[in-house]
Amino acid sequence: MARLDYYFRETATGLRRNPVVAFAAVITAFIALFLFGLALLITREFNLVIEAWTGNVQVAVYLDDPAKPDTVAHIQDTLSGLAAVDGVEYWDKTKTCSQFETLFANQPTFTENVDCESVIPTSLRVKLSDPALYDQVTAALACQPNDQNQIVCAAAGVKNVADYRQVLNRLNAITSVLKIVLGALAVVMLVFAIVLVANTLRMGMFARRREIGVMRLVGATNWRIRVPFLIEGLVEALLGAGLAVLALFLVKVWGIDSLRGDIAFVPLVKNSDLLAIIPWILIAATFVAIVAGTAGMRRFLDV
Amino acid sequence: MISLQHVSKTYKNGVTALEDVDVEVEKGEFVFIVGQSGSGKSTMIRLLIKEEETTKGDIYVGGKNLAKMSSWDVPKLRRNVGTVFQDYKLLTDKTVFENVAFALEVIGKPRHVIDQRVPEILDYVGLGDKLQNYPDELSGGEQQRVSIARACVNRPLVLLADEPTGNLDPNTSVDIMRLLDKVNRIGTTVVMATHDQAIVDAMRKRVVELDKGHVIRDQSRGVYS
Repeated sequence: MARLDYYFRETATGLRRNPVVAFAAVITAFIALFLFGLALLITREFNLVIEAWTGNVQVAVYLDDPAKPDTVAHIQDTLSGLAAVDGVEYWDKTKTCSQFETLFANQPTFTENVDCESVIPTSLRVKLSDPALYDQVTAALACQPNDQNQIVCAAAGVKNVADYRQVLNRLNAITSVLKIVLGALAVVMLVFAIVLVANTLRMGMFARRREIGVMRLVGATNWRIRVPFLIEGLVEALLGAGLAVLALFLVKVWGIDSLRGDIAFVPLVKNSDLLAIIPWILIAATFVAIVAGTAGMRRFLDV
Repeated sequence: MISLQHVSKTYKNGVTALEDVDVEVEKGEFVFIVGQSGSGKSTMIRLLIKEEETTKGDIYVGGKNLAKMSSWDVPKLRRNVGTVFQDYKLLTDKTVFENVAFALEVIGKPRHVIDQRVPEILDYVGLGDKLQNYPDELSGGEQQRVSIARACVNRPLVLLADEPTGNLDPNTSVDIMRLLDKVNRIGTTVVMATHDQAIVDAMRKRVVELDKGHVIRDQSRGVYS
């Protein structure tokens, strides 16, 4: 117990010694981790949107309402037999509606006012082995584009075909660009955070160089000397992480939640999404602390 | 206890501080290392606690070859070798008690050991009534006593002293020498680098004289020159 007591006392002195620099490190860590979290959150939002709009399926074959079981089986067989098709899944009313409810769980006005069972058609969701072979699907179902930009089909029981390839591609492209931009920004900020935390540790060690000298002289191990500084860096990074989570939560409450109702057709990130990214923010904070710790004191403490 | 075998030390800037030095120190001995400034005395002390590495030759302390010692084991070495310097190296924001306690605290000794040993050793060096004073409330001699207490509190096998009387007047120096002699009499091997002629002459201990990095004299019960 004497040991733990020692480490915490040393860390507390370290943080008190230069509050301004420690504050700067915490704020940089906060901004970096906030951007990092924001990138994760935006990625999740886009995944939700993609899921909602396309079900991650490249082609949807909507069926006449109501669909007869043997017709469904027949079309399913036809599609499965195509070389271009990787998988076909039948979405009946129950499945389609339950997905609808999940996606828009946070927008009750929308779900309550729509009678899903009567409005939503059943469909076959098709995954293509190669998007370029899409024509095979339309050919098999004898589909033609009509003048309303829909692809209607002559095959029995089929209403129309929705080609999601382009939407999917575009959404994916936007998501990856956003991911890259935000990711790069987060990385740059994380580097800043590392440099600043390392710098506070260095200044701390410089202020205590006499003490460190004595410690080495009387045979304190390197870890004995380092650990208080490592904890100090960790505390700074984790304080930054705490602020970042708080800020993300505020963004969610004030920014995102106020959009609900206005744009009911877009599913929005939920609290559970926010909770899911917290571990990643904490991992990033720990990473910042460890790198800053090792970089900050390498030169200072060689025996 | 200490053995230097053909030890040479050349610093990175090309200065040769020691050249082919052979010295053996037995357990419980008291040895003066004398010589002018720049003769290599301090380098020898620094080599003995592995603050510097030898360029050539081997050093054994307590049977361990320092050249083969990993950096992990250096703290262990330093726990067995107390060090005292001309500038005391006390921490000014800590009391006398805390300064000595610090040496035990940072090597992980439990509280009850600290509370027992620190007053004991401070009493031993004659500062039993100054536990709560700060270093700048003490005279130079008293400060050096604190640093000796700190070096001895963990009961080291060897005490290294680099010009311990360098900042002190002759009378105070004599007091410090009495204390080091006392430490030596309880079995601690003492190696002291100095250029204080009066002290060396008065003590009549073994003298190793260095000149430009060479041992030019090794005499038991010697005088300064």
